[in-house]
Amino acid sequence: MTSRILLSMVCTACLISVPAGAQETEAPDQQPTLRFEGYPGARDFEVVPRKDKLFFYPCTQCHRFLEPNPEVRELAAPHDIKLEHGRGRIWCLSCHSLENRDNLRTLLDEPVDFDDAYLVCGGCHANRQQDWYFGVHGKRLANWQGERKLYNCTECHDAHSPAIKPRNPKPPPPVRAGLERVPGAEYEQHPVWETLEEQEDQ
Amino acid sequence: MSRDNGRRDGHSKFDQARRNILRAIGLGAAAAVAQPAWGGQTLQDAFASFFQKDYRRMSAEEIEAALERIERNAAARYGVEIDCQNTPPQPGVVFGYAINISRCRGYRDCVYACVQENNLGRDSQVQYIRVLQLEQGDFNLEHSDHYYDPETVPVEGKHYLPVQCMQCDDPPCVKACPVEATWMEPDGIVVVDYDWCIGCRYCMAACPYWARHFNWTVPEIPAEEINTNTHYLGNRPRPRGVVEKCHFCVQRTRKGRQPACMEACPTGARIFGNLLDPNSEIRYVLENKQVFRLKEDLGTEPKFWYYSD
Repeated sequence: MTSRILLSMVCTACLISVPAGAQETEAPDQQPTLRFEGYPGARDFEVVPRKDKLFFYPCTQCHRFLEPNPEVRELAAPHDIKLEHGRGRIWCLSCHSLENRDNLRTLLDEPVDFDDAYLVCGGCHANRQQDWYFGVHGKRLANWQGERKLYNCTECHDAHSPAIKPRNPKPPPPVRAGLERVPGAEYEQHPVWETLEEQEDQ
Repeated sequence: MSRDNGRRDGHSKFDQARRNILRAIGLGAAAAVAQPAWGGQTLQDAFASFFQKDYRRMSAEEIEAALERIERNAAARYGVEIDCQNTPPQPGVVFGYAINISRCRGYRDCVYACVQENNLGRDSQVQYIRVLQLEQGDFNLEHSDHYYDPETVPVEGKHYLPVQCMQCDDPPCVKACPVEATWMEPDGIVVVDYDWCIGCRYCMAACPYWARHFNWTVPEIPAEEINTNTHYLGNRPRPRGVVEKCHFCVQRTRKGRQPACMEACPTGARIFGNLLDPNSEIRYVLENKQVFRLKEDLGTEPKFWYYSD
């Protein structure tokens, strides 16, 4: 029942379209597998691969020797990650597959390739995902015309700590001769006329 | 006879001296004309530049000759082989731009990508893009600060608003130009013919966005940093005393590439595309986001929108 509710929620959020053949092949007593196939009207795109940038990939290098442990816990090195995502509502196995280590998973426990991480993110962030499909969230590479090549969500956002960290800006423009500012003076906050108006009010 | 000889000798000596003097004057004048006065151009190029017509009145051959002249002049001035092109506007394309101000974090990466791409003078204080820092919730541009320089951005309680040429559809700068050296191209980009501009700066006074900039000096660019992919109406090396502005990287966008500022933006706050294509990103923004334009009440119809989500 829970999964059915979950499924219906995901369906509504992601505008899942059901392939015509999918329901016929399913056994009648089973829930038909609905797969997200993108948003109607969104143009085709190609995603910049991520797997070649992952340090530990393929995960089965080590995990085939390890017993799967579904217990919620703090992980030790090399995965001593401080999870700043979901505010405590999710943990590793919400997105990583327990059995199928080289893949991510959706909320319906479907395997998702690391190159298609945007499918996992969309499970919760459907609005952002929709914007991303239509090219108004995230980054498109190189050209405005022709083939669309998009960066994955995880290219910019660290999946374990998705908020973008503050960083230093590039230097300010040179101050024009004669416009040097006196430290401490609030030029922007108090243009001359506003200062005069304040004085008049007092 | 001796008198004749003497006279002839005297005449010959005088003649020789006169010739030497004339030669010296001639060489001096030629050197003065050739090097400093014409910025390293040949006299032929200098004459051809002087009599060059307005861009819109030049024939294809004249434009080709002008492009070759620009390349020769750049080689003489900077010692760099540039490729100056005249890519025409694409049919059925009008460019539009949108910035997601809730994504802009004030890094100024766009500003420096623009300087690099468009061969802006490194010492002439010209930057096409200004990133304004404003108090959260404040849109009074008079309260903005574009000299902000904190350790890290975004600063708590501030938001950022990049401003550049809005490529107005009813551009006041074009109307102000007394010599018609600036105009709107069919793809919506407002461009300047730097060879036709007389440097009166009326357009700068007319622009409500502070988007036009004057070259008080010859733009100084290190030879190794010159962008050799140039366009006649875009980022070709400019002389002193002319006005220039953002041209949506005409040398890139007419070939389907993104403007340099958009490519450099690390947050993806910048959206660029064809306003006439109903499936473009820019149209999606206009149809699905709450957009606004700066100083819309002035009626300049900017093709540059801002939105937040």
